[in-house]
Order: sequence, then structure tokens, then C-alpha cells
Amino acid sequence: MDLLHLLNQGLFWFFVVMTVVSAIVVVFSQRVIYSAFALLFTFFGVAALYLFLAADFLAASQVLIYVGGILTLIIFGVFLTAKIYTMDIPQQTHQRYLALLPVVAMLGLLTYGLFTADWKTVTPAAEPTTKDLGQLLLTTYLVPFEVASVLLLAALIGAVRLARPMQEEDRD
Amino acid sequence: MDLSRFNLITIATPLVLGAGVLLVMLVDLLSGRANRRPAQLAALAVVLAAAAVCLATWNTGGVSFFGQVSGDGFASFFNLIFLAVAFLVILAGPAYLERNAIHFGEYYSLVLVSVMGMAFMAAGTNLLVIFLGLETMSLALYVLAGFNPARQSSNEASLKYLLLGSFATGFLVFGIALVYGQIGSTDLARFSAYLAGAGDPFAGYMGAGVALLLIGLTFKMAVVPFHFWSPDVYDGAPTVVSAFMSAAPKAAAFAAALRIFYAPAESLGLPWERILWILAALTMTVGNLSALNQASIKRMLAYSSVAHAGYLLLGILAGNELGAAGILFYLASYVFMNVGAFTVAWMVNRRGEGRYDLGDFAQLGFRRPLLAAMMSVFMLGLIGIPPLAGFFGKLYVFTAAVQAGYVWLVVIAVLNSAVSVFYYLRVMVIMYMRENEALKDVDRIPATFAAVAACALMVILLGLIPGSVLDVARAAVASMP
Amino acid sequence: MTEQFTPVVWMLLSAALLTAGMMAVAIFLGPRKMNPVKAEPYECGIKTEDPPLNMRHPIRFYVVAILFIIFDVEIVFLYPWAVVFRQLSLVAFISIAIFIGVLMAGLYYAVKKGVLEWR
Repeated sequence: MDLLHLLNQGLFWFFVVMTVVSAIVVVFSQRVIYSAFALLFTFFGVAALYLFLAADFLAASQVLIYVGGILTLIIFGVFLTAKIYTMDIPQQTHQRYLALLPVVAMLGLLTYGLFTADWKTVTPAAEPTTKDLGQLLLTTYLVPFEVASVLLLAALIGAVRLARPMQEEDRD
Repeated sequence: MDLSRFNLITIATPLVLGAGVLLVMLVDLLSGRANRRPAQLAALAVVLAAAAVCLATWNTGGVSFFGQVSGDGFASFFNLIFLAVAFLVILAGPAYLERNAIHFGEYYSLVLVSVMGMAFMAAGTNLLVIFLGLETMSLALYVLAGFNPARQSSNEASLKYLLLGSFATGFLVFGIALVYGQIGSTDLARFSAYLAGAGDPFAGYMGAGVALLLIGLTFKMAVVPFHFWSPDVYDGAPTVVSAFMSAAPKAAAFAAALRIFYAPAESLGLPWERILWILAALTMTVGNLSALNQASIKRMLAYSSVAHAGYLLLGILAGNELGAAGILFYLASYVFMNVGAFTVAWMVNRRGEGRYDLGDFAQLGFRRPLLAAMMSVFMLGLIGIPPLAGFFGKLYVFTAAVQAGYVWLVVIAVLNSAVSVFYYLRVMVIMYMRENEALKDVDRIPATFAAVAACALMVILLGLIPGSVLDVARAAVASMP
Repeated sequence: MTEQFTPVVWMLLSAALLTAGMMAVAIFLGPRKMNPVKAEPYECGIKTEDPPLNMRHPIRFYVVAILFIIFDVEIVFLYPWAVVFRQLSLVAFISIAIFIGVLMAGLYYAVKKGVLEWR
């Protein structure tokens, strides 16, 4: 039992390191394609960390949306961009010192929160959380749920509008 | 299951709008490729139906759907403002869209979708609903800003708005997450209750949470450190869309801000007051000073709308009933002045889209006296000249701020109003005094003219009966749970 | 740290290790003889053309991508519903029908507007 616990601890730290290291690669890599693939590990690591928090639904949606959806799109975007390997994409930082101001302010606020927050300990649910979420989504959070569908509809209408080149309009 | 928890009356107006979006899409599909008239008529009918529903269900909703939304008078008041703006831009729009060969059916469905989002921002009593409403509104606006893909500035406006807007929404969501982390709920009643009971309201993550919520909302209001997008976006977007964007989303952002911060304003205390004080002073001053030197009427109006956001912040800072009711009155008059001014701006623009010069207004006073008179009404209203609605809006908000003890800020605001006289009056001077620049005549577009006339009429009308409208606004504020 | 889902994490880890292991075996044991043909995107005999630098891809790719994301998100919403739909009331069923209906209307609109036609 103790050995298993130790192994689990090790596993946890493995995913922590993986997430952080790959996130660093995403930010500092000079090539977009490397960033994109490193992002895969970041997203995956985050999903694993959600599992450690007993948030199974969150982990599943992380894999579905981020790994399965957004990342795939990013990689397709990279593939469809001509000469991505040789293209010199400028990656500079402008107004470094001005940006420091909000960054320090934000860091200060968050650190302040870290030390003053009243941290709550939650006993993990006995069952997977998806069931409760399903109940909540269709009772308490019904209105946001339905608004979300209209939000997606707005995205769809917008995509339809933007995707039709001008000259194809109104010809026939 | 207990059906009374799903009281549809609370969300009747956005519900009609949502069904209306589907209707307009269907009509657009059925009416053939080149004919957009049916879609426009359907959209107008939907807006009128929604307005009728809004009036019929005025302040009858109450909190429902497990505390997610409240169909109170506050929501009804704002819904009416949004619907009025939507009606005007849908009525005035086709002429502009035809002129630029961008008359597509999506214009109507997107305007309706975004108004529906705004309705949820005004009705939401839960941060999640407000966030989703804001996102629905913004998503439609991003596309509307880029509605003219053939023009580079329109694409630029869309991309800029999308990038900065989603960044700001990110702040808002982060703020919501931190607030949730602190109080374990996204419910606004719980939020106020927590702040009222907490010894230090900013303990833990509340400080960061409230700051991020404020950033997310002030971005949509175009308040000064977060206003950089607004001149470029209003300038680049198709002008009918600028008219819509400068009016309705700003009202929606203030609606959401009042929903979130009106009740707990007092418990937020001194840091909150100081931040808002600085934001308001900065916004008024930067907005007005930048507007002074604009050659393009669209950029001038954009900076003027930044300045007005600053005046409106006074009402939030005041935190009293008059301040909140004043904001409602102010917005109700401001949207008509802004929609009217932007619409006149594109009506008289004869140099082609993208080249909006104040010189376009030359001689308008003699060639189209009625149009020039209405433009004068908007300009005088935006200055806040007494018999017009703009004056009373400012009066109420400033009075509320004085009552709350912000005398110096009101002095700054009044000085700023004095500065603003210069650039608003310049438009009138050009209309009535500048020599003819041999520009061709302004087209006569009955529907658009009617929309402008309606705006002017409202500006005058609200100035004639300010007291009774303010009473309605007061009742609306009082009806918030 | 809860250990309720650690078996799932172990499964994830072993899947990752298996993939990494197979790639490593291929890299270390496989013969490496480079020739120009191997560097081409398609090794099927058709000579690959170098795309011009300013090549633009049809915008339909974008529509497909957006549709994919939208329905991906929809699936995430359907997943918790699917777990409990037997216990839920009629109201919940109507709600989910509206949710799907709205998105289907959007899809119908997109199809009818012809943005998915590959001409």
C-alpha cells in the first residue's frame, strides 16, 4: 500500500514536470511546429492533473476539446501554412518594461491571495463527478447551458459569413 | 419536477430573440440569393415582437431558473434600450450595406444574436450567465466588425477587436474563477452577501477576482487604459456596425457592471473608490483630449464615446440609487445620440467608405436643413445642452456623484464637458458656415432618414419628460434583487 | 491528492510509454539510409510540387475546422447528459432537444448556404 502511494506520488510529480517543461518549450521554441507538439504534452499533462484532483469530467473534456480539437486545428494550421519550417516568424517582445507593470501587479495580487486565502479542503466525491454535473447542467445551470448553444450558433453564423468570398455572392 | 422553477417569463424577451434568430436565418435561406428584404422585415418584426413581449412582461419576472436570471424591471429597461438600437440599425442598415455591396442576411441574424447576448448580460444574476451573454454578444460583434471583407480596415478592425476582446474576456473568466474560488459560488447574491459580511473584502483571491472582473467589463465599456481598440474598431468597422457597437454593447457592459457591483459597492470600500475615481478621471480626460484633434468623424465619435464612458463611471462610483438610475437614463439618451450621429455620418459621406472627413458636413445646413438640424440635436445632446436628453443624463449622474461626495471628480467632469463643446460644435460650424467644397448631393434614403428622425425625436422627447423616465429608471434599479 | 483515478493515470502513462518506446525502438534499431525521395511528403511516386510561397488554401478548410470545434464542444456538453438522461425529467429532455436543435439549425444553414461545397 505504501509502495503504491509512493508510486502515485512519483506519477503526480512526473506529470507536473512534464506539464511545466513542455509549457516552457511552447513559449520559448523558435519553431511553431515544435511549440504545437509541445502543447500536446502540456494539455495532456493538465488532463492527468485533473484526474489527480478527481475531476474526471474536466479531464475528459480537456482531452476532447483541447487535445482532440484545438490542438488538432493548430497542427493543421501549421501544416497548411506554406514553408512553415523555413519561415522566419518574428518572435520578439515589444515594450518589455511597460509590460512589467501589469505583470508585477497581477503577480502581487495573486501572491497576496495565495497567502491570505482561506483554503478549503474538499473530500473527494465517492463517485465520478460526471453524473452530478449532468444533473446540475440540466437543472441549476439550464440557462447558461442553453445560452451556450446560441453562442455556438453565433460562431457558426459568423463562420458562414466570413467563409464566403465576396465574388461568390449574389451571382446566381 | 417542480415546473415553477422554470419561469419562462423571466427570459421571455431573449427567448423571442433567440427564436427570432432562427426565423431570420430560415427566411434568409428561403428568400433567394439576391433578395435581403424579407430577412430585414423578419428581423424588424422579431425586434418589435420582442419589444412587445418586453413591455408586456415588464418587471413581472423575478428571480428564476435557480437564481440564474432575474426578469426584473432593470432587465426590461435595458432590453428596451438594446431593442431600440437594434431596430434603428436594422431599419437604417440596408442602404449602407447596399452601397458597399455587403448586404448579406447574416447582418440581421448577427445583430439579433448579439442583442440576445446583451439581454442575458442585463438579466443575469449569476456570473456565468453574464459571461455567456457577453461572449455571445462579442462573438457576433467580431464578425460584424469585419463585415466588409473587401476593405482592409474592416478586416483590421475585426482582428483587433477579436484579439483584444478575447484577451479581455479571458480576464473576466479568470476573475470569475477567482471569485468562485473564494466564495464557492458564482451567484451574485452570494457575492454581495460575502462582501457585506467580510471584514477585509479583498482578503484571499477576492481582490484579484474583483480587479479582473472590472478589467473585463471596462474593456467592453472602452474605459481608458483599456480603450485602445475602440477608435480603430469604430473607424474600421462598417459604419452601421459602428453605430450599433458604440451604443448597445456599452449599455450592456454598464448593465452587467451594475448587476455585479451595485449592491456590494459600499462594502468594497476605499480601494474600490480610488480605482474607479482614477479610471473615471482618466477616461473623461483622455477621451475628450483625443477627440479634439480628429479629422475623421468616426474617430471623433469613437473618442467621444470613450469620454462618455468616463461620465457614466461616475454613476457607478456614486453607488447610490440616483447614480444607478442616472446611468440608465444617460444610456437611454446616449444610444440615440450615438446611433443618430453615426448614421448621419455615413449618410453624408460622399468620398467613399474609409474616408470620413469632417469636411463632408460642409454646407449640409443649407442643402439638407432637416438632416443638419438633427445632427445638431445629436451634437448638442452629446455636449449636454439643457433642453435635450443629454443634459439630464449628465445632470443626474453628476448630482449623484456630488451627493456621494466626489465634488472634485464632478469638477473634472464639468471641465471635460466644456472641452467637449469645442469638437462637437465644430461639426455644427462646418455644417452651417463652411463654404461648399463642391461635393455631390447627399442621397435621399427614406428608411434611414426615418431612423435618424426617430433618434432625434427620442433625444428631444427624453429631454421633455426626464422626470418620468427617471422614475421608471429608479423603479428599475429598485427592482434588482 | 486523491488516488481514486490513479489507475486511469497509470493507463495514460503506460500508453505514453508504449508509444515513446516504439518510436525509440524505430529510431535506434531501424536502418537509416537517407535519399532525396524519402524527404518528400508523399513517397508514392508522384513528384511533389513545391507550393508557391504565397499559396493560399481554400477557406472551406476553415469552415470545416470551425464546425469540428463547435460539434466537439457540443459532444462535451452531451457527455454528462448521456450519463444521467434516464433519471432526468421531461424538462431536461426538452432542454437538450433545444440545445441540439439550435446547433442543427446552424449546420443546416451552413450547408444550405453552400460553404461546405467543394467546388
